[in-house]
Amino acid sequence: MAIDFRGQSAPASEEGMMHVFWLSGMSCDGCSVAMLGASNPSIEDLVLDRVPDLPLVVMHHPMIAEESGAELMAQYSAAGQNQLGAPYILVVEGSIPDDQALSSGAFASMGAGSSAARGRGRATDWIVALAPNAAATIAIGTCATWGGIPAAAGNITRSMSLMDFLGGGYRSSRGLPVVNVPGCAPQGDNFMETLANIMRGLTGNRDMPQFDELGRPAWLFDQTVHVHCPKAGYYEEGIFAEEPGDNECLVEIGCWGPVVQCNIVERGAVNHLGGCMVAGGACIGCTMPGFPDKYSPFYKAPPGSAISGGLTKVTGSAIRRMRLMSMKMANREPIWERAGDGTTAWGRAAGLDSPLERINGKFYKKLQYKGSVNQASRNKLQPQPQSMDILRQKGVDVEASTDVLQEHVITREEL
Amino acid sequence: MTTIAIDPVSRVAGPLALQAEVDASGNFSDATTSASIFRGYEVLLRERDVRDAIFISSRACGICGATHSITSALALEMMFGIRPPQFGITMRNLLTTLDNMIDHPLHLFTRAGLDYSEPVVRATNPELWTAAEATAAPGVDIHGLKTIGAIMTHMTRYTGDLYREALAMSRTACEAFVIIGGKYPHPQTIVPGGISSTVDASDLSLTLLRVVKFLDYSRRTAAIWDDLVDFMFEANAGYRSVGAAPANFLDLGLGDDPEAYDGTYERAASWGERRWATPGAVLNGRLQTTSVVDIDIGVEEFVDSSFYDDWTGQSQPLLTTDPLGNAVSARHPWNKQTLPKPANADLRGKHSWSTAPRWRNNAMETGAAARLWITAVANTMPHRGFAEPTGSGIRFGFPQSALPQGEIEWRVPEQWGALERNRARAYALAQSTLIAYENVLVGFDLARIGGPEAGIFTHYKIPSDHVIGVGYGGGPRGYVSHHVEVDSKVIRNYQIVSPSTFIAGSRAAGSPGPLEAAIMATPSLATAGHDRHIDLMRTIRSYDLCMSCSSH
Repeated sequence: MAIDFRGQSAPASEEGMMHVFWLSGMSCDGCSVAMLGASNPSIEDLVLDRVPDLPLVVMHHPMIAEESGAELMAQYSAAGQNQLGAPYILVVEGSIPDDQALSSGAFASMGAGSSAARGRGRATDWIVALAPNAAATIAIGTCATWGGIPAAAGNITRSMSLMDFLGGGYRSSRGLPVVNVPGCAPQGDNFMETLANIMRGLTGNRDMPQFDELGRPAWLFDQTVHVHCPKAGYYEEGIFAEEPGDNECLVEIGCWGPVVQCNIVERGAVNHLGGCMVAGGACIGCTMPGFPDKYSPFYKAPPGSAISGGLTKVTGSAIRRMRLMSMKMANREPIWERAGDGTTAWGRAAGLDSPLERINGKFYKKLQYKGSVNQASRNKLQPQPQSMDILRQKGVDVEASTDVLQEHVITREEL
Repeated sequence: MTTIAIDPVSRVAGPLALQAEVDASGNFSDATTSASIFRGYEVLLRERDVRDAIFISSRACGICGATHSITSALALEMMFGIRPPQFGITMRNLLTTLDNMIDHPLHLFTRAGLDYSEPVVRATNPELWTAAEATAAPGVDIHGLKTIGAIMTHMTRYTGDLYREALAMSRTACEAFVIIGGKYPHPQTIVPGGISSTVDASDLSLTLLRVVKFLDYSRRTAAIWDDLVDFMFEANAGYRSVGAAPANFLDLGLGDDPEAYDGTYERAASWGERRWATPGAVLNGRLQTTSVVDIDIGVEEFVDSSFYDDWTGQSQPLLTTDPLGNAVSARHPWNKQTLPKPANADLRGKHSWSTAPRWRNNAMETGAAARLWITAVANTMPHRGFAEPTGSGIRFGFPQSALPQGEIEWRVPEQWGALERNRARAYALAQSTLIAYENVLVGFDLARIGGPEAGIFTHYKIPSDHVIGVGYGGGPRGYVSHHVEVDSKVIRNYQIVSPSTFIAGSRAAGSPGPLEAAIMATPSLATAGHDRHIDLMRTIRSYDLCMSCSSH
């Protein structure tokens, strides 16, 4: 089979192109900021056609566009009327207001004063015009996916998600319901990777990716954020932060991570850095339906944590004690055990000589090597190297200058 | 006379619509600007637990969410009677300056910058492009680009090195932000009494390594904009009039002095003056005050052109005098009630979701440029490790990085307009960078010294009586204030004033808003492609508006 070089030669052909039309409902532009901040792939990768198995992307976005007003909106109109000569993906950011039901006015609009205007230029008018012919429709961010803050209690805009606005019967021209990439703001790579994978599916270069029952990219949102949380180990051992700034599990200061589907601690916020709990911020469920009201008030422990957290405090503290014992043994090189001296220039290795731990260690190793070769007893028989402590052997005096560092050593017990 | 309607104006955050009359020579009159979005944050925040305030109000703006969340925390601290430990204040300073550093490059090279890129200049002013190609760039030793033409070429959308570098540097600042802030643009780590981050030696080091990349980048950026702006003025003095505006500035400063900030309203004027950028009000180039209280109390919001019912006369004012005895207007945020009323746009009447704030009845310009100007002329900024105000400018000192140690200076210009606004924004990147750098160093020192001030959080008890608090913040676009009224731990009123509300706000008592006035002062200098109104666009984009934030 011949190698397909499609996309590697510039300029791209018409069928190697895909348009992306960005529409903002009631948004804060945070989703656009997240998209611009993404690197995997980046917007430059897409619009400069740098990735061979992806089409050349023509991005229509008011915050990026060279054109304004009628000139810009004419392209949106052409898309809705299928006059582009290439497929397009519709991306919607922000909650969808109920302004189709208003006799006058709008809560989010653009292009009202231009010749390409549809209705009052409401964002909702543009969605109605563009969604039916889109090859795929993606809701980015919690406002567009579920409703978000503009749809919270007390709102006067009666806003809703894109999915609820278009209705359960909606399918894109290629048969997809609304794809939902939630988060307030969403992790930028979550969106760009989903966009890229959908384009691969649409062009037939790959299978269409998997989505869950709420239209979320399944490979990104299938687990709770707690499962990958770097603080989940504290939870397991029953140790909890008492106040902001503490390093332990944040459940008792208001973290909903154990029940929230999100991947930000695994992926990081940007380029594998940060992520809410990684930095010390408690999860308030910003990727979830019902955010914010279902997670209010913030900074207060979720009721469920009293039971699950209480249980781990009992079991976790016992496990932690056993682990601390194992860790004492683990922090020793066999060469020190043979010498009977765990002293380094930094301090004395803890518990080397405790009789209880020696018995315990023996029992532990027996179990560990059962059915295998006992490397610990083999290691005991190894001869000691002769050039240990070489500076003393050669008579070099180094003791006068080293003590300053001793003050800064932290033992495991102190940690 | 013909009527032009531009809706939306692109490369502005959020939807901005413009209508104006234009005569045969391209002069604008009757300019009207509208914010075409409303979400109702002030309405939604009513009847909520006060603990929800920070993370909900932050989400009014996806560009300076960090600044809004910190501003909200300051308001809550005033109500709770607490202040964070010095290390906590320092880390918040770092986050708020990084918020600025994420955005400044995007403004300079992906939004406003495009209007000076090769394809645009060639299409609108071929003679300018010819001159640019032939003009050597004086700053070549700093930025490496030999001609003005080369600068313009590299400002081209997507393919230009400067365009792509701005995206990359913005991401670098974003990385630095999330190491301690956790997430961007809406950080999950801001709490009353400090932040909830666990900051260890590697967090500060990782942050520092990203901030120092901006030492070079901000110097190069300033040199590029110096060359570009000076060239434009030299080529055609008419460019000095593009976006011309009076020197009326308002700003609340940037970053708190960890030794001075105490969260009280009574001493706000004093701790405000010790900020890393000086708060102030300037009218026609003359400094009026540097007190955050005077600045705040002078603000009034008008809804003549806005889709809201007037609240005055409908409800009892909360305050007639503030806790210091200053008279408070019925139109001040303390007394404002948000009463939205959607309607079809009537350009002679109500047509915008933005209110129109005024300061002592003057239309004011906010932004990073205002912050620079006020800090320069006030000449009282106490943190002089890397920045030295002179009364007529600010000298910025850079430690050696990839470039050798050096100094740059921003000077108050004689005439204010779109190009000077962009030049000031470039120097504001240097200002933010050096404030961030200094705060990392202060952070290292506080961590080394240890003790209670090396903590990051202070405990609080939420009062159950009626309390009020105000937060004063500074985003990439400047002025942010949150006024909060709480009773029985529940929010009764929440009022946000943001920088673009000042600029994009339309007419009040018949007088135009700052953006409308600047448009009407702008000549059309295009010699080809006249219909694209490039100089009008340059004027609008020099303000770097955020319409979502402006209307909230």
